[in-house]
Amino acid sequence: MRKFDLDRLLSASGLPILIFFSFVFLFPLYILVKATISNPVETIGIRPTYLILSFTLEKWITTLGRPDLWPPFNKSLLVATFTAVLALALCTPAAYALTKIPAKIRYTIIISLFVTRMLPEVVIALPIATVLLRLRLDETALGLSMAHMLLVIPIVTFILVGTFETIPRDLEEAAMTDGCSRLRALWHVSIPLALPGIAVAVIFSWLLSWEEFTYAIYLAVFSKTLPLQIFQFVDRGEPITAAVYAVLVTIPVIIIAYSLQKYLKAGYLAGAVKG
Amino acid sequence: MGEVAYPGAVAPSFAGRLWDTLRRYKLEIAFITPLFAYLFAFMGYPIALAIFISFQDRLTGALSFGNYISVVQEYRFTNALLNTVALTGIGLSLELAFGLTLALIMSRKFLGRGVFRAIFLIPLGVSTVVSATAFTFIFSPTGGYANLILRDLGLITSDVRWIFSANFPGNLTMLFTVVIVDMWKVTPVIMLLLLAGLESIDRELYEAAQVDGATLIKQFRHVTLPLLKPFITMALVIRGVDAFRIFALPIILTGGQVPVLSTLAYSKYALRAFNESAAVAVILMLMIMIFAVVYMRLSRAEEVVER
Repeated sequence: MRKFDLDRLLSASGLPILIFFSFVFLFPLYILVKATISNPVETIGIRPTYLILSFTLEKWITTLGRPDLWPPFNKSLLVATFTAVLALALCTPAAYALTKIPAKIRYTIIISLFVTRMLPEVVIALPIATVLLRLRLDETALGLSMAHMLLVIPIVTFILVGTFETIPRDLEEAAMTDGCSRLRALWHVSIPLALPGIAVAVIFSWLLSWEEFTYAIYLAVFSKTLPLQIFQFVDRGEPITAAVYAVLVTIPVIIIAYSLQKYLKAGYLAGAVKG
Repeated sequence: MGEVAYPGAVAPSFAGRLWDTLRRYKLEIAFITPLFAYLFAFMGYPIALAIFISFQDRLTGALSFGNYISVVQEYRFTNALLNTVALTGIGLSLELAFGLTLALIMSRKFLGRGVFRAIFLIPLGVSTVVSATAFTFIFSPTGGYANLILRDLGLITSDVRWIFSANFPGNLTMLFTVVIVDMWKVTPVIMLLLLAGLESIDRELYEAAQVDGATLIKQFRHVTLPLLKPFITMALVIRGVDAFRIFALPIILTGGQVPVLSTLAYSKYALRAFNESAAVAVILMLMIMIFAVVYMRLSRAEEVVER
């Protein structure tokens, strides 16, 4: 009898495949970083090199010294922060309430929130853009944040519902028998216990907004965000500058992913990949 | 009044029960209302407005199918539609094939599995804008690492023009380039979804199949695939919808040289042709809805047939 032959075949052929794919997944990112820290000729010349032959930080220094870096940087920072704060203000009470209503209705609402993510952004962005244009809000950080919230609400609600579900009902009830009102019990008992989940939700919405491209291209035509600025440099034929910006945009992602490792479930990220 | 049974008596008790429910959940309702108000204002209303604009004549404001007719007749629309369908079809099949292969390998326990898992998670954290920028170095028209590697491996003798070529066969190469970059991001997602599915399959089923003398292929065909099917359906619907909406990647990587429906809608918006832009966007929305509904119906029907 052949025992576990599926195993044997896969382990024999598996390793080369895994190594090949690891190379495929890592190589473009390596080149992106390499482009920013070596002589440009090595990356975009006629005969590019695999290794960093002449290390230089010149491109980083000139790019960080450019005055046109900061307006998009500040705009991205502002939009992402607005989005995170507004989404939290809207979703925390909603998620808390969802955990108190019958489970069937709760999951129907959460699933329909995720279904809204299936709608193409271009359908929603166009009318929002025309309305904001009329209201003269079209280039503001707040206008773009209001659109970005669409993107983050499903995932934020999902994380927060999961968080509130883990808090035992008895705790609030105990507070209420001691004379707390429902709102005070929520504020002094449930919210403090939910803080780790709330933090993860805030960081997620911040990241999603920080990297977003589609709504931004509709709603921030002149005062660009960082992702739009990257696109502009690629389009203008300044790939190395674009690469520096791209690394810059990714740095917060790396820091956050590293420090939140144990909270980040793959499923959250899977929902976060569209930018 | 209560003693006489007539149909009207049902209504007040229903209203009463509704009132009771509303009172019981008044805090919950007050907490959820702002979220729904926002969703109405920034999603429901815009979609309705987009549909309205799409029927509106640009100059007169009269409602007709005029925008749809003129958009559909454009060469660019046909091109964008074909590109969208091709990107979704080719991309999704390849992503599923590779994702399943990787998931099958990764579902075994072996030394170094954690390292590979960590590597495969990396593309998930990289935004599309960044990956598209990275791949401009790989597929750049002169030099470029794809050509360099293929040359060094002896697979090509003259450079492939991945991106900048204007005529139709070149267009196919560009389409393929977009598919590859999309795969770079999506294959790990599909792998993760299918890995979750594989890990839910009871190992004893395989042992039982082996005792019964099932070959490797038969085990895969009769144990793995049927049990994995709900996960495959989920992955295909989620990623299929995303593939239809693909936007940032073709714009950044090819400078809009591979038009898809969403980029066509955008370019019309950028030219201030709002009504035509809305028409394209609404067509895209309908395609996505039809795809999701039909696909889920079909896979459900298949399940019923198999039982």
